[in-house]
Amino acid sequence: MATDWSTTSAACEKYEALLEDYLNGDLSAADAKTAAEHWQNCAGCRAALQHAAASLRLLRVAGPTADPGPGFARVVMARIREKSAGGANFWQPFVSFGWRFTATATLALAVFVSYNAGWGHLLQPKVTTARPTESMDLFAPEPARVPANGDEVLMMVADNSHAKF
Amino acid sequence: MRDVPKSMAASATALTLPLQVGEKRVDDRELVRLSQNGTEAAFEELVRRHQQRVFALVGGILHRPDDVEDVAQQVFLKAYLGIKKFDQRAAFSTWLYKIAVNECWDYLRKRKVRPLVYEADLSEEQVSRLDGIVSSDRPPESASTRMETREILERMLEALPEQDRQLLVLKEIEGFSVQELAEILDLNVNTVKVRLFRARGRIMDTYRRKVNSSGKAHAASAANRKES
Repeated sequence: MATDWSTTSAACEKYEALLEDYLNGDLSAADAKTAAEHWQNCAGCRAALQHAAASLRLLRVAGPTADPGPGFARVVMARIREKSAGGANFWQPFVSFGWRFTATATLALAVFVSYNAGWGHLLQPKVTTARPTESMDLFAPEPARVPANGDEVLMMVADNSHAKF
Repeated sequence: MRDVPKSMAASATALTLPLQVGEKRVDDRELVRLSQNGTEAAFEELVRRHQQRVFALVGGILHRPDDVEDVAQQVFLKAYLGIKKFDQRAAFSTWLYKIAVNECWDYLRKRKVRPLVYEADLSEEQVSRLDGIVSSDRPPESASTRMETREILERMLEALPEQDRQLLVLKEIEGFSVQELAEILDLNVNTVKVRLFRARGRIMDTYRRKVNSSGKAHAASAANRKES
């Protein structure tokens, strides 16, 4: 049967899914009857069905993809192992750094806590407090002096009166 | 599969796994469960079972044989890394094929691959051979003819919109069902049917154009020969 290419192959939208089912042999008897009744009177659907059936024959020429064989699964598993090992190696330096940091921080904290707890005083050197020398601040006001006797009282009064005038 | 010793199931490097218990073949669900527990041999068996379909799917979408193996490997690698999160609500095959489809889209997006459309005229012999195939149910007899016809067909498929080509290849060449395609491509079953039917029309339009242009070219060259 030669395919008629002169007819337009546009099928009715409503029947496209039904025609596809028909091609795949998935149409129920009732639906097949409805569809057959339609395309007997519809040149567009009839041509579309003819073209679609021709496409089936054309596409059948190309066979399915061959199985890649057992070697493929082995390659995949090798890649998975490599990836897992690679992943572990990548994180290893970060993990060891983390552990070292944690250990150092714990030790430092332990030393600090023990030092605060008391034995730090034993290690503290005894420092004698030095008296500040007068020469440290020459411009500071003199501290108030308490007179020791009557003469000193008179002298202070005389000094103050002299300063006022 | 309950007979599989726990020590074996837990072993990440156990390469010998009884994949058949008596007459019964271990099903995918059990192999997935074992893979989730770290049994590499179970995952290797899943790879063996599904590698052909994954190759077909990836090949149908990419249509570049050189890249198919790389992408297929990547699909299984992703499946292995994600298998612990797979809750088995869908079939393993559906989940795996979805990974494959996503991987193909990623690949096409990264590479910005556009299929090369090779528009060469067909020889008279090729036209008559194609006519023979299309008009009757007569497949090409010799292997070389089959190979040549397949190449012509591939060129015609490459001239189609990407989605049409994928649907036709996956359905008619690789044997995926409409239902499977709907699940894998996240489409409504009816949408798949309509798109497939329209794609069939388009490939036959391409075929008709090719045959017509080749016919005209041959007629013109014959006329030129006659004149000279």
